[in-house]
Amino acid sequence: MKKVRKIFKRRNINLVTYFILALIVAGITFLPFYWAISLSIRNPIEAFTVTGLAIPFIQYKPTLENWKEELATGETQKSLLNSAIIAICTSIAVIILGTPAAYAIARFRFRKPSNSNIIVWFLSQRVLPPAATVIPFFLIMIFFKLLDTRLALIMVNTTFNLPFVVVLMRQAFLDLPIELEEAALVDGAGFFTIFWKISLRLAAPSLVAAVLIVFAFTWNEFLFALTIGTIHVRTIPVLMSGAVDTRGIQFWFVAVRMLIAASPPVILALFAQRFIVRGLSFGAVKG
Amino acid sequence: MLRNNKIKLIFILPAALWVLAFTIFPLFYGLRLSLYNVKIGFPDEFIGLKNYISFFTDHYAFNAVIVTLIFVIVGVAIEMTLGMLIALLFNRPLPIRGFLRTIMTTPLFATPIAVGFLFFTIFYEEGGLINGLINIKIPWLSRANWALFSVILVDVWQWTPFCFLIFLAALQGVPDDYYEAARLETKSGWNIFRYVVFPILQPTIILVLLLRGTEAFKIFDIPFTLTTGGPGTATQGLTMYAYRVGMRFFNFGYSSAISFLLFIIVMVFITVMFKRIRQIYQ
Repeated sequence: MKKVRKIFKRRNINLVTYFILALIVAGITFLPFYWAISLSIRNPIEAFTVTGLAIPFIQYKPTLENWKEELATGETQKSLLNSAIIAICTSIAVIILGTPAAYAIARFRFRKPSNSNIIVWFLSQRVLPPAATVIPFFLIMIFFKLLDTRLALIMVNTTFNLPFVVVLMRQAFLDLPIELEEAALVDGAGFFTIFWKISLRLAAPSLVAAVLIVFAFTWNEFLFALTIGTIHVRTIPVLMSGAVDTRGIQFWFVAVRMLIAASPPVILALFAQRFIVRGLSFGAVKG
Repeated sequence: MLRNNKIKLIFILPAALWVLAFTIFPLFYGLRLSLYNVKIGFPDEFIGLKNYISFFTDHYAFNAVIVTLIFVIVGVAIEMTLGMLIALLFNRPLPIRGFLRTIMTTPLFATPIAVGFLFFTIFYEEGGLINGLINIKIPWLSRANWALFSVILVDVWQWTPFCFLIFLAALQGVPDDYYEAARLETKSGWNIFRYVVFPILQPTIILVLLLRGTEAFKIFDIPFTLTTGGPGTATQGLTMYAYRVGMRFFNFGYSSAISFLLFIIVMVFITVMFKRIRQIYQ
């Protein structure tokens, strides 16, 4: 507020206008989350009767009953566990497979195909619409008796996130000073030691960002989770989509579930703030 | 660049082979499926291009193409314009800018399925957030045109921050001297944007167009929960139609043909921009 007052004093009306505009934009962005929180702590009877902004304590008395009930449900707990296991295993698999490849493209010269061709090829795998492979994957998983297993979902998610990690980490390795690695090479260290002991450690911040973003992508993935894991390995998004058929849309539970589903990726992304821009632009824009 | 040797292959092959095995193989398998009449429990029957021919005579498919195109073109255009405007706004020394920027990033990673449901309650005609606030009963989800608009609106809410963040990062990379030099020439903010900022940002704009465009073609999650493709088929895009044909009616061959056509559309889009992408990742 002090800052705001100072600005008024300077009569910098332009800046005040811009500030208010920015506040409105941020407000609109946050409004749906606010609405979800407000719905989730409302008594079911008040879900439709309280209108407008629905401010807690003023328009209604908040309660945590919906949260308790939803979190005590076995299905919800199981789905949370499924989602967590699949997302964590995918992140690990993607890093193990992806970082060496990224390192190789950043540091070695390939002739045929050339480095830039390889990276564009990886990139084009990421933009490929998953719908093009969903039916083949479904039939392949039936064939290998992997339908409705966590392993199948981990494999699928690894496939779609691997190109992302390769492109992102390649940029991270390119940004490291090569002198350190060359010095180690002169001292007789092997490429694998250099990669593991020097480069990977120096690129740790990007690595963390990559893990967080892959975790979020996997957590949110729906199309494949719906086709390949429908009964025993339901993830949180699949659980949400199925709940409507059986219970009708109960706003208060929808709100609780929305917050349960969206909180882990949103909160993780807040930790990765500094790297989101670089991550989402596949390393092309530095944030 | 390090020289040598065989070790680079050990580094790159696991990832390359994995991606090859899990994308090229399913793609070819999908292409094969699209040429067959596939029923579980029966041997596949080769029917040539019949699935593709039925695509071009199927009015549901035509509708899905139109819905997808409207969604991609209108949605991405709004997101990029709004994203650019907000980025220009945030490129000024505003108080608590960092905090506001953080709030702006929250929609990006919110689970799309959950977002669809949430907006169902927001668009709800009786007692929903928006109609409750403005006190007009807008049929957000029950009229065909409104429903498509609502789906686009949700996508705009979720993905404008993406355009905004990348544009803002790019804007902050423009050196101050450029603005100062430009200000000697012209007083018009529009001219500075048009002749100084825009050319510098052009690669970034193309990158965002590529990433958002290809992502938007995949639209599935939000209409799946927000409108379930309805009312009627007003918000049923290509992915959802392929999913329905495949997983509801178990017509795997036709579903694969639809998916393959979607794949071709996206590939054409990428190829058009291919040269630019290579420059960006050089």
